Amino acid sequence: MQARIVEFTNLLRKSGIRVSVAEGIDAFRALEELSIEDRAVFRDALRASMVKRGDEISTFNELFDLYWSGFYDNLRESFGDLEDQMGDMDIDLDSLMQQMSEMMQGMDGEIDLSELAKALLTQDLAQLEAMIREAAEQAGTERIENMLQVGFFSRRTNEQLDLEGAGGQLQDLAQKLAEMGMGSEEIEALQKMIQQLVENMRRSVKNFVERELQTRNHDYMEKFRKEMLQEKSFYHLTEDEITRMREVVNRLAQRIKNVLSVRKKRIKRGKLDLHQTLRRNMARGGIPFEVIYKHRRKDRPKLVILCDVSSSVANVSRFMLQFMYGLQEAFTKIRSYVFVSDLGEVTSVFKDGDVNSAIEKALDGGDVINVYTRSNFGRAFHDFWRDHLSIIDNRTTVLILGDARNNYNDAKAWCLRDIHSKAKNVVWLNPESPSAWGFGDSVMDRYTPYCDVIEECRNLKQLSKIVDQILL
Amino acid sequence: MFESVDDVISDLGALGYICDKRIATVVFLAQQLNKPVLVEGPAGVGKTELAKVVATSLKRELIRLQCYEGLDEAKALYEWEYSKQLLYTQILKDKVSETIAETQSLAEAADRVGREDSVFFSDRFIVPRPLMRAITSEEPTLLLIDEVDKSDPEFEAFLLEILSDFQVTIPEIGTIEAKTQPIVFLTSNDAREMSDALKRRCLHLWIDYPNEELEVRILDAKIPNVAQQLAEDVVAMMHKIRSLDLKKTPSISETLDWARALMALNSDGIEEQVVNDTLNVILKYEGDVAKAQSELAKILDAASAQEPEEAPAAEKAPEKAEAKKGILH
Repeated sequence: MQARIVEFTNLLRKSGIRVSVAEGIDAFRALEELSIEDRAVFRDALRASMVKRGDEISTFNELFDLYWSGFYDNLRESFGDLEDQMGDMDIDLDSLMQQMSEMMQGMDGEIDLSELAKALLTQDLAQLEAMIREAAEQAGTERIENMLQVGFFSRRTNEQLDLEGAGGQLQDLAQKLAEMGMGSEEIEALQKMIQQLVENMRRSVKNFVERELQTRNHDYMEKFRKEMLQEKSFYHLTEDEITRMREVVNRLAQRIKNVLSVRKKRIKRGKLDLHQTLRRNMARGGIPFEVIYKHRRKDRPKLVILCDVSSSVANVSRFMLQFMYGLQEAFTKIRSYVFVSDLGEVTSVFKDGDVNSAIEKALDGGDVINVYTRSNFGRAFHDFWRDHLSIIDNRTTVLILGDARNNYNDAKAWCLRDIHSKAKNVVWLNPESPSAWGFGDSVMDRYTPYCDVIEECRNLKQLSKIVDQILL
Repeated sequence: MFESVDDVISDLGALGYICDKRIATVVFLAQQLNKPVLVEGPAGVGKTELAKVVATSLKRELIRLQCYEGLDEAKALYEWEYSKQLLYTQILKDKVSETIAETQSLAEAADRVGREDSVFFSDRFIVPRPLMRAITSEEPTLLLIDEVDKSDPEFEAFLLEILSDFQVTIPEIGTIEAKTQPIVFLTSNDAREMSDALKRRCLHLWIDYPNEELEVRILDAKIPNVAQQLAEDVVAMMHKIRSLDLKKTPSISETLDWARALMALNSDGIEEQVVNDTLNVILKYEGDVAKAQSELAKILDAASAQEPEEAPAAEKAPEKAEAKKGILH
């Protein structure tokens, strides 16, 4: 049992759930306190001591089924329908077994049955499970790596079990019973049953090996999926991935928020606050037992976001907006604008709190602009310059997201120059790779002089790196 | 003492706290292993309540520490009582001058006073705060650290010593070890992820909204004279409302409030008019109410058209499909 729990712990670790040694020990201690007969209790005890994150629970449950309970259920299933499998024989299995065991008592010692043969005959599933596990271990099944090896390891496990031998012994037994005068119809049924039992066993072994493969590979696949999501280009997300990506973005935002709060604390002590100190120490006759310092506040930046929402970059805008609004507390104020050709403010869309639906609305133009036109950055910047330049001051970070593909319109770089000269800094995120900037209808090179930071932003990893930079 | 997992279920059940095996297992283990339990889950599913009933059931004193932003050691653990120290110094002035009367030099006098240090830095002048009380109590206690996610990350680090060793260190006095080991519950609404170090030291329990059957039982236990049919209807409706995308999802306490409200209105079933009139009992935002109203109209229509049981499944499917379409856009 202990070895199996250690193995299970390793499996969890490989699947990306962090389980410390201390937590492993807790699990052992927990199991000592409980009867492990009850699968549910057993599972809860393991979970409570080893899995501490909400998002890991589903992985844990899956692995638990795979590792602990699934196989037994399967075993029961494949042996359970013996009656059905023999259905066309029209014979009462119970009475057959009865008759057989009576006759076997009579011939004591004459026939030698192996453990496996006995377990098969009595269909002792728990025993069979234990035997399969042991044989599979000796056959080295844990080294299995791909589907092609399933046949090989099943064969080796069967050899280890000596399934052939057990089958032979059982057929011998049937022979013997026939000699002792069992009816031919019954013998036929018995032989069929023996065949079926051996076949069931063979199938269970194969199933076990397949499960083994799954457990080994589970972590591999899962990790792969996550990695992909972090680095996958925003351009090629499926619907399902977008949903999952939302959660990942939320978690990232959460993490950055935590880091921020720690950093803020570290720098908070400032000058002596005389007023507060006197007030606090009035109870002690004004003797300053307790000294109060002024809090030094790091200026939270104001953020102005200009998002290109044309279809080519909509996904990038979506996650950038989600990220920024996930971090709302880190900014004094966020104002957001969307544009394709015209520019419109969508700040108010985000007022209602539900960020996700607000984002969808904003990407749709937020009822203020028409999204079904062709990108015109020059015009959008000019709109901003004309109507909103006054909101920018020296504490404002301007975040522009777009591919700068201007459809050969006038770039009006001077608008960005004026914005740049008023703002604290201008950050441009471009979902295209740098080698494409300035080619074709891209006017990135025209805007470059007026940006403090220009970053390629094509996947989540890059996005989170940039967010980190802006804030710190 | 709980003897077994089933014992936990029945003991807590007797106090009106209906829980499933999952919760009971963790509570039982917490007692057996002397480990703190970190309880997480959405607001209003009975996390704090769990700690309270366990305390009652084990006849332990409940010591509660409510966490908030800016909570520090002085408020959680102990504080020197400066004014009392000051007062004592004033009163004992004569005695102090007596002590240093025949000293020759300033240094000698300071030494004399220094020798008496421990008088002023002793238990007498310490104001114990919840954590300290839980540890130094003669009788075993149950310590509830509520909403630990609201506290600052530093405070979390500070909790580690207490949670793993059940001891605190006061520089002037030394290390104080627990006389009796308290059972510790920490609750969190998941406002932020707790650190791995903290999680490692705790057993973890995730309490989610109960399934319909359990929630009906909770209703029965909390409102003894509720009609069975009403309880079932309320819970079924509640589960539908929870499946909507709301700003604040209603919790168990809202289910109870709602059932009570419907009973007070002498309503024996759920009809659209009554539901609409009482929605503000369960939903606390204007936007949520509007959303629920439009959805409920559909649900109730479907319910009256067919038999009530079949309605939810049929109603949910198109709604999901629509949400997905929205994302794709």
